[in-house]
Amino acid sequence: MAKIAIIDDDPDILDASSLVLTSKGYEVVTATNPDDGYKIVKENSPDLIILDVMMNEPDDGFFLAQKFRKEKISSPIIMYTSVSKSLGMDFGVNELVPVDEFVEKPISPEQLIEKVEKLLHAKGGV
Amino acid sequence: MENSHCPKILIVDDEKGLRIGTKRLLEGEGYFVETAENGYDGIKLGTTTEFDLAIIDLKMPDIDGIQVMKEILKVYPDSVCLIATGYASYETAIEAIKFGAFSYIPKPFTPEELFQKLSQGYSRRELILEKKKWKQEREERLLEVAFEKSRLNTIINSITDGLLVVNKNGEAVLFNPSALKYLSFDQIKIEENIMDKLHPQIADLINKFLSSQKCEQKSFSSEVELKPNREFYVEATSSPVANPDGTLAGVVVVMKDITELKKIEFLKSQFVSMVSHELKAPIAAVYGYLKLFSDISIHLSEEQKLNYLNRSQIRLDGLLKMVNDLLDISRMELRTVNKEIKEIDLYVIIKSIIELFQIEIKKKNISVNVNSSEVLPCLLADQDEISRLCTNLISNSIKYNRQDGSIDIILSSSGNYIILEVKDTGIGLKPAEKAKLFQEFFRAKNEKTKDISGTGLGLSIVKRIVDSYSGKMEVESEFNIGTSFKIFLPLRNGIKNKKQNAGN
Repeated sequence: MAKIAIIDDDPDILDASSLVLTSKGYEVVTATNPDDGYKIVKENSPDLIILDVMMNEPDDGFFLAQKFRKEKISSPIIMYTSVSKSLGMDFGVNELVPVDEFVEKPISPEQLIEKVEKLLHAKGGV
Repeated sequence: MENSHCPKILIVDDEKGLRIGTKRLLEGEGYFVETAENGYDGIKLGTTTEFDLAIIDLKMPDIDGIQVMKEILKVYPDSVCLIATGYASYETAIEAIKFGAFSYIPKPFTPEELFQKLSQGYSRRELILEKKKWKQEREERLLEVAFEKSRLNTIINSITDGLLVVNKNGEAVLFNPSALKYLSFDQIKIEENIMDKLHPQIADLINKFLSSQKCEQKSFSSEVELKPNREFYVEATSSPVANPDGTLAGVVVVMKDITELKKIEFLKSQFVSMVSHELKAPIAAVYGYLKLFSDISIHLSEEQKLNYLNRSQIRLDGLLKMVNDLLDISRMELRTVNKEIKEIDLYVIIKSIIELFQIEIKKKNISVNVNSSEVLPCLLADQDEISRLCTNLISNSIKYNRQDGSIDIILSSSGNYIILEVKDTGIGLKPAEKAKLFQEFFRAKNEKTKDISGTGLGLSIVKRIVDSYSGKMEVESEFNIGTSFKIFLPLRNGIKNKKQNAGN
């Protein structure tokens, strides 16, 4: 079964998301800050990365995503956002934002599972 | 005489009878008359006071009449002089007139002859005065116009708003130094077409009038970012300038520096998005847990259920605290908080706060020591605000303390200040965290703080309260060792927002 890394500074979001994904049979690794996030991705080579956009800084999740792409880590990335609209940063999926999907908080498990499955399937069906 | 002011006449004649007779005659007609019995006195009188008319005898023993007239005219060139002569001849008349006499009167003269000559002379005098007045007025007006023009220029050049006027062909006709500065131009030549050099948005504002060549009385405004990254913003407003016949003469553009406003606006929207984010985080967490409960495909153990309910409760408590803190901050910002200034005892306040936190203190087995110098002056302040300040500091020193740690609270005074120090043996701050300590919503995020809940507003509220009393605060902190906050509150002076019922 596919391995998923979740990087979010909110332990409750991590808990709930992990539980949703593990209950579907995925293997989950978590981190609560960008540095640890980078580490678990390097160590575990997950099939998919879920990344919160705003951790210590308002956009450090975004920079972490760029770092992954620069280092040729090509696992699909789902980005958790909470203020995209109010910040006026209307993220779109394009080359500048190296992210495959956005999920706006609060997260519904169905939506999360659907997006995860879609991306993993597109990647080559695990 | 019909004139409102009575004409002043000087009679210079050595013949006493003529002097007295003429004076009486003229005074009877409403003239004001002075007389001189010789040329010397005549010059003296006629050069100290300006007379409307002077009747001067040509032949006098000391100085002759023409000389007297010349001297008078040197000082008062507008006095009208008549030469009286018993040797009337064509030559003397010509000579007198050559030297400035208005006319001459042959002696002896009848009263009618005299009145006629005087009346002519007075008309002349009035004409002269009128002309002089007009000339003076015209000069004054010219001076005024010149002054007004330079004054307007000075005003236009000194206003901080940028002002640019173009004619209907888009050529610059007037601008001030602020406009050059705002538009980053070294110089503009008068009558230079500047439309292509202008920021497109400003050119658009001008073109709104130029393209139609209509002179409608309305203005267009837009906010223009003249330097990127919010470095320089102006609000530009264009209005038409009309010819006297109502056709379009040109367009005036006024540029107002709104950089500061834009900065504040940006900070505000940043703050709003921070608030939304912070409010949304606990909602998202609770929502996530609730979804777990309602998802039938997910099986939760009793222990998990209890844990998630507990976590949800904590997040909701945090949310509630945050909303309350935000309301407090907004009240402070709006200054709707009326300080109820009275004498308060800091020691008593701190003791009662510690009492409120007994459960938390016991849970962590923290020892709390309160030390107060023996003679501590009373603080004049609002009890609620100072309690709030102390509560936030003490609650932090408990929350971020280690198990079996200690808290030292020291009260002292120095000079004009009362000093409150709260020292803990907690997790401390990294230098980078210390710098952000008073930012709204800043919370040190590391492995040690992840299980501590907080709104990130407590210290920002402390700072606002301290600032409102013109106090100051110092923070010393070492990561893993502890943190110490020192609050300096002025004893008497500098209390802002002092309410009228102070001292109640």
